[in-house]
Amino acid sequence: MDGFRRIPLSLRVPLLTAGLMVLLGVVASQQVLSTLGKVQDARIRELAQLQIEALSVALGPHVLRDDIWEIYDTLERAAGETKGRRMIFTVVADENGRVMAATDPVRAPLDSPISALTEGAQTAQTLSVTGDAVQVRLLAPLRYQGRTVGQIMTELDVADLISERLRAGQLLLLGNAVATGVLSILGYLAMRRMLMPIARLVRRMRETADAPEPIPESDLPRGDTEMTRLVKTYNAMTDAVEAKAETERRLAERERFVSLGRLSSSLAHEINNPLGGLLNAADTIRQYSDRPDVVRQSADILTRGLNHLRDVAQATLDQNRLDRSSAPLTFEDFEDLRLLIGPEVSRQEQKLRWQIGASGEALSTFASAPIRQILLNLLLNASAAAGAKGEVSLLVSEKPGVLCLIVEDSGDGLSDAARTRLLSDAPVPPGGGVGLRLVHDLVKELNGCIRSERADHITIVDVTVPLQQSGMPPPC
Amino acid sequence: MIEFTRRKLLGSSTAALFLEAISSKAEDAFRLGLTPVFLDNDAEVIDQLRTALAAALGVPIELEQRRTYEEVTGLLLEGSVDAAWLCGYPYLQHRDALSLVAVPVWNGKSLYQSYLIAGKDDTAMTLEDLRGGTHAFSDPDSNSGYLVTASDLARLGLRPEGFFRRTIFTYGHRNVVRAVSDGLVRSGSVDGYVWEALAKAEPGLTAGTRVIARSEWLGFPPFCARSDRMKDNRLLALGDALLGLDQTDEGRVALGVLQLDGMTTGGPELYDGIESRIRDYENLR
Repeated sequence: MDGFRRIPLSLRVPLLTAGLMVLLGVVASQQVLSTLGKVQDARIRELAQLQIEALSVALGPHVLRDDIWEIYDTLERAAGETKGRRMIFTVVADENGRVMAATDPVRAPLDSPISALTEGAQTAQTLSVTGDAVQVRLLAPLRYQGRTVGQIMTELDVADLISERLRAGQLLLLGNAVATGVLSILGYLAMRRMLMPIARLVRRMRETADAPEPIPESDLPRGDTEMTRLVKTYNAMTDAVEAKAETERRLAERERFVSLGRLSSSLAHEINNPLGGLLNAADTIRQYSDRPDVVRQSADILTRGLNHLRDVAQATLDQNRLDRSSAPLTFEDFEDLRLLIGPEVSRQEQKLRWQIGASGEALSTFASAPIRQILLNLLLNASAAAGAKGEVSLLVSEKPGVLCLIVEDSGDGLSDAARTRLLSDAPVPPGGGVGLRLVHDLVKELNGCIRSERADHITIVDVTVPLQQSGMPPPC
Repeated sequence: MIEFTRRKLLGSSTAALFLEAISSKAEDAFRLGLTPVFLDNDAEVIDQLRTALAAALGVPIELEQRRTYEEVTGLLLEGSVDAAWLCGYPYLQHRDALSLVAVPVWNGKSLYQSYLIAGKDDTAMTLEDLRGGTHAFSDPDSNSGYLVTASDLARLGLRPEGFFRRTIFTYGHRNVVRAVSDGLVRSGSVDGYVWEALAKAEPGLTAGTRVIARSEWLGFPPFCARSDRMKDNRLLALGDALLGLDQTDEGRVALGVLQLDGMTTGGPELYDGIESRIRDYENLR
């Protein structure tokens, strides 16, 4: 049964149809043979009844007079006339069951009991030729002038009827086999044709690489059948999937723009703030060019400001370059992150705790880009949550087989929407940023896990990722 | 003249009436009764006999057949038939009323035997060996088909119905042979002439039987007529026709199919053997 269930539906239903056709053929054949048997029974009964009645009329007076010779002679003549036909042996007995005469006296001697010959004999009313016996026995009372004067037992040759039934059975078998075969094939083909849309649907779904493709209108089943509705539903589903993918693409694009904007604002902030000071220093130099101490002081300011700008530019360049490459994670990446988060932390006068406790070997198993992105997003989020004069911490540690990244802040904790984006696979609710969902997706890609808790007014986001290429199972 | 004329006319009328009566009588069919003494089942035998006698007598022959000897004898005694081919036994039973017309000659003699037959595989050698079996007789009034065996038993103080478990009458010698050959009965009493004739005509039938015993030679079944009609011209003509059968083509053909040599005259003494058996049989009764 399990094997049958493994057969595709497009094959199973036609096979089932063929099987039912075979069953139908068998039942129909049985019915025909049964009817033929009944017809033959009726025929043989009528024939036997006529023979018995004729013999009774002819034999009655002789039996009554105990005229053995005349009984025998009559039987002989009757047998002679029917030679090669139905009655092959007939015996007549008196009312006490003693044989008076038989067509074969040696088989049924005079005065022997007829009961020795009547085993399995049927009556004229129940005479039946069912079975394989080519001879049937019939036992009937010999009635004359309204009273029973003896008994007649006759053996009927039904070989022709048996042979007729056998021949009919064979013809039926052959005919039904052909008819069933043709019907089965037609049924199989019809079912295959009816189920073709399903097969096509299955093929489409199986062959789909990334996004399911709709079935062309030209291939839609005609009419308004279940199949048509099914295919249309499938097409609607593919449209929905496409729309969803499109939405995700737009979201990703927006995230990119958001990230770009945030970067731009950071850059603007990092560059614009010192730029005012640098311009003031330039004006001071121009205004007090005759005062060497002022010029020197302003030149120092210019130098520090330009150095800062160079660092910012360098960090941005490094980040972009790293993003495009798959360079391994190093301690420098954490310094870059500190530099990137630095201006924001300074602006909000926050206290930053920075502790990198992992080996360079462990770090090098990761590509730098995803870890930098994860930490940058978490740190920016923590900084935003901590608010002015808050505290932000990054603790990186190494445990057997895993790297632990813990970001803490003294803010009010993650909102429900932020927790959903960071911790679950549930769809992102409308509104809000995508930075935390990006963290979630990146950690998932690294086979890592994220936990978030709050203790002593501190919000802790704990990211655990297995060392890459270590073959370690996911930590959670 | 007138008187002469009247006498002449009367004489002419009388002569015409006489001639008409003679002619009418000559056209009457001769009725001959037949017992199943011979191959009565053979249509050819009957046809040939009828043809031969008709040619000899010059009148149509009506052959009257009945199932039993008693019926044919009855027809003869009451005058329904002119003559009959009877058996010696009924002839002797009615010897006061019947006379012999002619007696067939078979194998040069007017004698025949009664055969006691059994199935070809039966081991019986004598009548005694058949005790307790089933037996077929031809007719209760048949010499060879009943009287011989019954008288043999009577001489032993037995009756057929006591000696045999079951006896049947087939009313025909050929039927006795059939009954024994087919196994309907174990044994039978049959006319030896019929058995021998059948052995030539239907050897397959007699092949199923075996002759256990033969009786002494007894008078052949004769053609009989009522004694009071023996002077009748028709019967005289019949006697001449029978005795002269071997002189005509039709007669020889008839004798051929009957497997007889011819016909002869015979006296009652020819049947003394049967007479003796009748006495023995009736003594027991």
